[in-house]
Amino acid sequence: MSTIKRYMRLYRVLIAQFFKSILQSKVDFFMGLLGFFCTQIFGIVFLFLVFQQIPDLNGWTLEQLIFIYGFAQIPRGIDHLLTDNIWMVAWWYVVNGEFDRYMLRPMNVLFQVISEKLQPDAVGELLVGTILTVYSISRGVVVVDGTHVILFMISVLAGALIYTSVKLFFASIAFWVKISGPFLQTAYQMSDFAKYPTEIYAKGIRFIITWVIPFAFVAYLPARYFLISGSSASVIGVECIIAVGFWCIAYALFQKGISIYESAGN
Amino acid sequence: MIEVKHISKDFVSAKKYPGLKGAIKGLFSNEKIVKRAVEDISFNIADGEIVGYIGSNGAGKSTTIKMMTGILNPTSGECLVNGVNPSKNRKQNAQNIGVVFGQRTQLWWDLPLSESFTILKEIYKVSDEEYQERMEFLNRVLELEKFFTSPVRTLSLGQRMRADLGAALLHNPKVLYLDEPTIGLDLVVKDNIREAIREINQKYNTTVILTTHDIGDIEELCSRIIIIDEGKKIYDGSLAALKEEYGTVRTVTMEVKSIEKLQEVNLAKEFDVAPKQCRVELDREKNTCQVVFDKHKVQVPQILSRIMEVTEVKDVQIQETELAEIVKAIYRHENGEAVL
Amino acid sequence: MRKMLKIYAPFSINEIKRQLAYKGAFYLWILVNIFGSFISYYLWMAVYGSAETGVLGGMTRNEMVVYVFMAYVTGSMVNISISKTVSDDIVKGTVSMNLIKPIDYRMSLIARAVGDMVYQFLLPGIFIWIGLEIYRVQVLGEQIVSITTILWYLISVVMSFLIYVLFDFCFGMIAFFTTYIFGMTMAKNAILSFLTGQLIPLSFFPEGVQKVFDFLPFSSMIYTPVMIYLGKYTGSELVFVLLRQAVWVLILYAAGSLIWRKVTTRLVVLGG
Repeated sequence: MSTIKRYMRLYRVLIAQFFKSILQSKVDFFMGLLGFFCTQIFGIVFLFLVFQQIPDLNGWTLEQLIFIYGFAQIPRGIDHLLTDNIWMVAWWYVVNGEFDRYMLRPMNVLFQVISEKLQPDAVGELLVGTILTVYSISRGVVVVDGTHVILFMISVLAGALIYTSVKLFFASIAFWVKISGPFLQTAYQMSDFAKYPTEIYAKGIRFIITWVIPFAFVAYLPARYFLISGSSASVIGVECIIAVGFWCIAYALFQKGISIYESAGN
Repeated sequence: MIEVKHISKDFVSAKKYPGLKGAIKGLFSNEKIVKRAVEDISFNIADGEIVGYIGSNGAGKSTTIKMMTGILNPTSGECLVNGVNPSKNRKQNAQNIGVVFGQRTQLWWDLPLSESFTILKEIYKVSDEEYQERMEFLNRVLELEKFFTSPVRTLSLGQRMRADLGAALLHNPKVLYLDEPTIGLDLVVKDNIREAIREINQKYNTTVILTTHDIGDIEELCSRIIIIDEGKKIYDGSLAALKEEYGTVRTVTMEVKSIEKLQEVNLAKEFDVAPKQCRVELDREKNTCQVVFDKHKVQVPQILSRIMEVTEVKDVQIQETELAEIVKAIYRHENGEAVL
Repeated sequence: MRKMLKIYAPFSINEIKRQLAYKGAFYLWILVNIFGSFISYYLWMAVYGSAETGVLGGMTRNEMVVYVFMAYVTGSMVNISISKTVSDDIVKGTVSMNLIKPIDYRMSLIARAVGDMVYQFLLPGIFIWIGLEIYRVQVLGEQIVSITTILWYLISVVMSFLIYVLFDFCFGMIAFFTTYIFGMTMAKNAILSFLTGQLIPLSFFPEGVQKVFDFLPFSSMIYTPVMIYLGKYTGSELVFVLLRQAVWVLILYAAGSLIWRKVTTRLVVLGG
């Protein structure tokens, strides 16, 4: 218990630091936010232009697609905000030996990595996600009641955990290959597939994004539950199981990676 | 305090080929190279010792230190620091040690130094009273308050090194590892850092392990040194003994009137010693005669009187071999027998 | 010309070597980059499947397949970013070092970008291109693309490349105003992927918006060469779009020189 308290307090100290530094560089903050906002919002403009030509896409209306798209952004944004420093493990810390410093402190290594940075750019994604979700809810395409609201929150958290696990898993490969950025980039990019209904893809792709790198469970599959009234909530349960399972695998790999970490300068 | 038992460390890497062709070839090849960085090293270090750990670049110094600090796991063997195995109980070990890497800071680059200390206080569970007491001490020996509120990235190298040293000592570690703590510093700052290390060692009986290329660090701080080369330990003992054992060679340089007359003289034969124990080198341009000899076998007056019999001596210089020379000779693998 | 080649060719060759050196990255970048195209491909297939007519935004389903992948192939050759180098040099202050050397800074960057372009063309560009043509002939049952079309396309791509690189050079100098170029780059890439026609053919935009695009350099970066490849321009129209590209090369070259001169004089004055 005292350990958790200590970690919490430390996290607070670090986050406070972080806010101070944001206030010092408002321009940078705004630029990053704008960058991610633009990247995500153009996907919607794309849908909007396409829907000028067609009445629906595989039976989905524009509003429904907007919900899927927006819903996908929220777990992504949460993960991006909190654990962005994992990217540095993949690209930089292992290969140049900066990872040493985490090994020298009497605290959980992953906690140290994550707590070192909040990524304000993620606010751009969260903003897009929230706007689109609120918009589509206001258009009445989503089922809104107590259970759905609670499951919505659970689903968002589980989705964020899936994102984090995928990142951690592929970043950990760096302990073997020094730079795992390209692997992580590849895996992370797969999440773009999940912004649209997965039934439009070929079977192989659908299988990969559902069961190998389970991004379909982050966005499309749970979103369907919220869109279609009377559909089974079990998909949210499966999402949670996958999130926890994937997390355990990723964390085990990370621990294994630490044990063979070679540092730099040899 | 520290027991190192037969540790070895191998590094495995993919084979690389040179040139553009090589880059393409590398894409399809899967060959591995195993490099043994540390090979079967053992030693014990007692409480409060300051030990110099030296060797040429790539000899395996940093690798050993990294194994003792828990960054790397040994391929075989084990070490115990204060009874804790760093590779098994990393966190527990981390609480007992302080580490400074001269080439890389462990502070938060963008934060003011004061904030780094606040965070470290939390990480190492330092109580308020302890913190007060420590900071007073550190301020006195390292003069941190001059730049305590500046971001770490704005510090000069000397300031940063002091800051890093202070940060490593905040939790009063039992063992302090210093990897090239004076690299790139000017003489005044070097002196300050050495003085601080000495004071810390005396006041808290902190065990210090120091790797360095600066022989000055060793001469001023270490009572004991361990030398490694190509991953193997080649010397472990006191500094004085090293000098005694390897440092028996001296040089006497004389400026003489007529160098030609000395050509016939064979000192080794005359003194009845092996040629390498008394070697004569003549420099015709400077008119000097240099004699390199073993001080246990031949005495200076003997040489002087013999030379003066032959020609007039205008000036004499006698040089003791310096530690740097000894170490250099040992690196050159002269089988532990320094021939200078 | 010979002398120029001698000075700047090593920049290109080094860049190709550097790219090859990253073994793991090598295979994977290809994959990552194509993801976007496959997502578009499947989306379009679904869109055409849901459409009431066979022609959307002036394009048939088969033409859209070609558009999606040729937009990728073109983009991989054209979108060679040099702004990161420019901004890095500015932030680190190494720009002034480059002013001392007896070579033109911008030329050396462009030479490097050429190396990158050749590399991108060889891997994976050409494979996707060939794959697409095979798919077109075998599966879609169409004629293979003609040599003259390829020729016009390649001429257009070279100019697209110059337009992009020259534009990016100007963009890199934003680093004088903000040090956080990453966010700007994200925004730039997002906006460009839209305005250049990479994400969706510009013919899908409303008429008025398309008129505006005619007066911006972006449509000349991707949309023009891909439409040439599709054979959408012929005769005087083809000459016109190629001339428009050439004009943009000149304009952006001049603009880059101007900004660069302004910026470097300021550097010298301020002692950057």
